[in-house]
Amino acid sequence: MEQNLSGPALIKASAIAVVLAAVVFITLVMPAEFGQDPTGIGKQLGLTAIAEAEEKTVIQYADNGGELREDTIELVVPAGQGIEYKLFMEKFQKVEYEWLSAGDAMYFDLHGEPKGDTTGYFESYAIATLPEMKGSFTAPFTGTHGWYWKNTSAEDVQILLQTKGQYSLAKPAQNQEDTP
Amino acid sequence: MLLLFGSLTFAHGVDEQTRLFLQSNTGANLIPFMYIGAKHMITGYDHLLFLFGVIFFLFRTRDVLIYVSLFTLGHSTTLLLGVLMEVQLNAYLIDAIIALSIVYKGFDNLGGFRKILGHSPNSKMVVFIFGLFHGFGLATKLQEFQLPEDGLLTNLLAFNVGVELGQFAALAIIVIAISAWRRHESFMRFATVSNTLLMSAGFLLMALQLTSYFQS
Repeated sequence: MEQNLSGPALIKASAIAVVLAAVVFITLVMPAEFGQDPTGIGKQLGLTAIAEAEEKTVIQYADNGGELREDTIELVVPAGQGIEYKLFMEKFQKVEYEWLSAGDAMYFDLHGEPKGDTTGYFESYAIATLPEMKGSFTAPFTGTHGWYWKNTSAEDVQILLQTKGQYSLAKPAQNQEDTP
Repeated sequence: MLLLFGSLTFAHGVDEQTRLFLQSNTGANLIPFMYIGAKHMITGYDHLLFLFGVIFFLFRTRDVLIYVSLFTLGHSTTLLLGVLMEVQLNAYLIDAIIALSIVYKGFDNLGGFRKILGHSPNSKMVVFIFGLFHGFGLATKLQEFQLPEDGLLTNLLAFNVGVELGQFAALAIIVIAISAWRRHESFMRFATVSNTLLMSAGFLLMALQLTSYFQS
């Protein structure tokens, strides 16, 4: 069972089918799926953003050369002293972290220093006295970013630090007496 | 229409969680595989569009059952054989053929083949053959997951049963809707428009799959 269109009607229906498919494909599907937008309509409708969103993610990782890495580090803050632990990060790289002190709440300063800076400038992202902290940050500039912990107690305190993100490890500067 | 195209890339893809499940699964897992099969069918609009075309002019329940059984026989055969014999076909090309089946059915419904060839090709045979291609499509997608050998046959059968259940559920809705519509005089008036749109959707899916193929 089927219809019985006349020859011209059949040709017309088929032509409409092809043209309609072509129009939708060129104006909507190509921009959204393949990031090609010959008519410019996809951009106006915001469809090209769909295809670009995928590309951007890929490029971002490639640019950084920064693969995601994960580290778990055990640090010891000697009694009455402070230590620093730093990550080297490019501008806009991100890191998630979590640290936990085995002792009481500790004074800390999470901060960053720009690469090549000799003036001693630094920018603090968080200063508090806590037994643990979890969070994330995006490096506002290329340089070293990390923690200063101060142990005011009479006993050494262990700290367990977990980091995940795009960075390389800077050497820990041990036994600093002063706050950064 | 826009909604339909919005989720185009996910039409046949299996979502991330399902992928993880399929790849980490070991042993026979009846219900999950049935579920995945059913979900695949219900969300696989190219299968549904083809079925819509097939039953568009089937007025009797008996005919619906015969045609759908032939389609099922076709795709079950190639789904099982394809996976068990590890037949690897290009997913984009298979999907392009499935899209072609939609165009074919739309054109056939318009009476195109009778006009050109003087007769409509044996439509039962055609439905069976396209069923074979639809099954290869399913098989190709399943094989991308490198399913573990352990419990493979059981899982495949469960997947296939799920596909049938999903197809049945979707068909029930389509049949009821079309039957209701047929009583209306607008059905014949819009029959040409409907099948033209069906062809157009087939052309669009073909363009999408072929472009993806040439880009891959």
